[in-house]
Amino acid sequence: MAFLEVQSVTKTFGGLRANDKVSFSMERGELVGLIGPNGAGKTTLFNCISGYHPVTSGRIIFDAEDITDLKAYEVARRGMARTFQVYVASGDLTVEENVMVGCFMRTGSRKGAKARAGEVLEDLKLGDLSHYMLSELPVAAQKRVTMATALGSNPKMLLLDEVAAGLNTAEVEEVMTSIRHVHHDLGVTVMLIEHVMELVMKVSDRVIVLDYGEKIADGPPEEIAKDARVIKAYLGERFVREHTGEFR
Amino acid sequence: MEAIRDAVDFSDFPRMDLIIAWIVALFFLAFPLFPHSSFAMATMIQFFMFSLYGMGWNAIGGYGGQVDLGKAQYVGIGAYTTAVMLIRWDIPFWFSMPVGMFFAVVWSFIIGYPLFRLKGHYFAIATIATSLVLKDLFDVWSFVGAARGLEISPIEYPPPDFLRLIFKEDINYYYIILGFFFLGILYMNWFRKSRLGFQLRCIKDNEDVARSLGINVHWAKVKTYAIATAFVSFVGSFHACYIKNIEPVDTMSLDISILIALMAMLGGAGSLWGPIIGAGVLIPLKSYLKEWLGAAAGLVGIDLVLYAIIIMLISAVEPRGIWGIVEKIRRRKRQ
Repeated sequence: MAFLEVQSVTKTFGGLRANDKVSFSMERGELVGLIGPNGAGKTTLFNCISGYHPVTSGRIIFDAEDITDLKAYEVARRGMARTFQVYVASGDLTVEENVMVGCFMRTGSRKGAKARAGEVLEDLKLGDLSHYMLSELPVAAQKRVTMATALGSNPKMLLLDEVAAGLNTAEVEEVMTSIRHVHHDLGVTVMLIEHVMELVMKVSDRVIVLDYGEKIADGPPEEIAKDARVIKAYLGERFVREHTGEFR
Repeated sequence: MEAIRDAVDFSDFPRMDLIIAWIVALFFLAFPLFPHSSFAMATMIQFFMFSLYGMGWNAIGGYGGQVDLGKAQYVGIGAYTTAVMLIRWDIPFWFSMPVGMFFAVVWSFIIGYPLFRLKGHYFAIATIATSLVLKDLFDVWSFVGAARGLEISPIEYPPPDFLRLIFKEDINYYYIILGFFFLGILYMNWFRKSRLGFQLRCIKDNEDVARSLGINVHWAKVKTYAIATAFVSFVGSFHACYIKNIEPVDTMSLDISILIALMAMLGGAGSLWGPIIGAGVLIPLKSYLKEWLGAAAGLVGIDLVLYAIIIMLISAVEPRGIWGIVEKIRRRKRQ
């Protein structure tokens, strides 16, 4: 059995089918990108997997356990961490304290949480920022801190929702390094939603494409870039002309 | 062991704060030795009581951001448990106080469990409602004296009676409540650094993020609400022995609930010193205003006008209260 199995997941909001019989599976240690036009149901799918939305039908199996009906915090405790697309930091917590909240999932001791937070922050090269308020930081750093917070809980799998949105090229580069580090060196299975194609196509082992709630493609990046349906629905002719050959 | 070390460890505060805190603590210890009026003494005791109420409120309202305007119901439960047990069965304070805490905590679970499904203003309104319902219930319940309330007669229990907490001189009450005031600070100092404290601050920041970090948001709120309740109920029990005369109109009024929340917010919700600063400003102001303006000039209700002004000032100037202003100035200096 695969590490994560999403079996025919459907999620409707009233008459709207946000996810329509989406099925895919992921192996342990894979890095999968999830792309698609706005409103395709990517974040909804994340919310279903991580327990934020109850699914309308279908099952989700994670690490040989059916997590379909679990609540969000229960899913998190089973080792599935996630970040959020829009994160408003009201600024009550410092960077270190934020990461400590993640660490507190695995330990009741403040010392233990503090030590682990220090490790994670060093690991993602955020050590210098640990005493700043989260709200004082630029967006790119905030996004990396939310990754660090998620990592503090020692997850087996990490769902990243648009960590590179709104960042400049250099910052995307930084985030990409962090993602690779998490995936390669820490051995965390990663799934990411992203509109920044440079990032998705470069780091992903495999890319899944959603359009109008349905899965329309699933394969290695270079195949996805050539897929006629994907080009029509999302990538566009120009992108492919400019980038073909780059992703090998 | 780590918990005790955390409770007495204040090292994350600037040196300046600690020096001031020590001076103030020594002043509190020495205050009864200086010449003072009995009015000043009573005001000091009120200050400690309200500081403790505020610390309790601060756990759920400050660190957790769940504005609770129904603390008076727990003052009532604590006060009535102690008074009833003493008058009916002659059970002294030190035994009835934990029983009162137990009842209060049980009640907090009963109403906290459904109430925390509500958010923001709706939660605040619901806490007012439950508090007023309980007050009305006590108002007609003859077992606890109904609207006339209960009176602990010092003639029946000749002072000084340490077990029943019946004294003639206020100085005894002063040192007892002062002791609990220091204990309260130590507890809150541990709480803010504990796992639950961190989780609560994260919940205040963003509940969705909190869930993604494995926090059972609802349960964390209910638990903290129970902790806050225990504080309030304890002071309620003390109130019964100190005032010796409790009636629903007084002990469980909405005024008390609002005053508790207001003090903590004025001082600085979500900070260790906030409720103490708030009580330190408001309680003397309230007592002396009542004494000078209320009684002398006939301006009854001037304290209510004052509360209204403070609420407006907090929301307009700095939602984090006095402590928020201090921290803002500090941050500006650092940059």
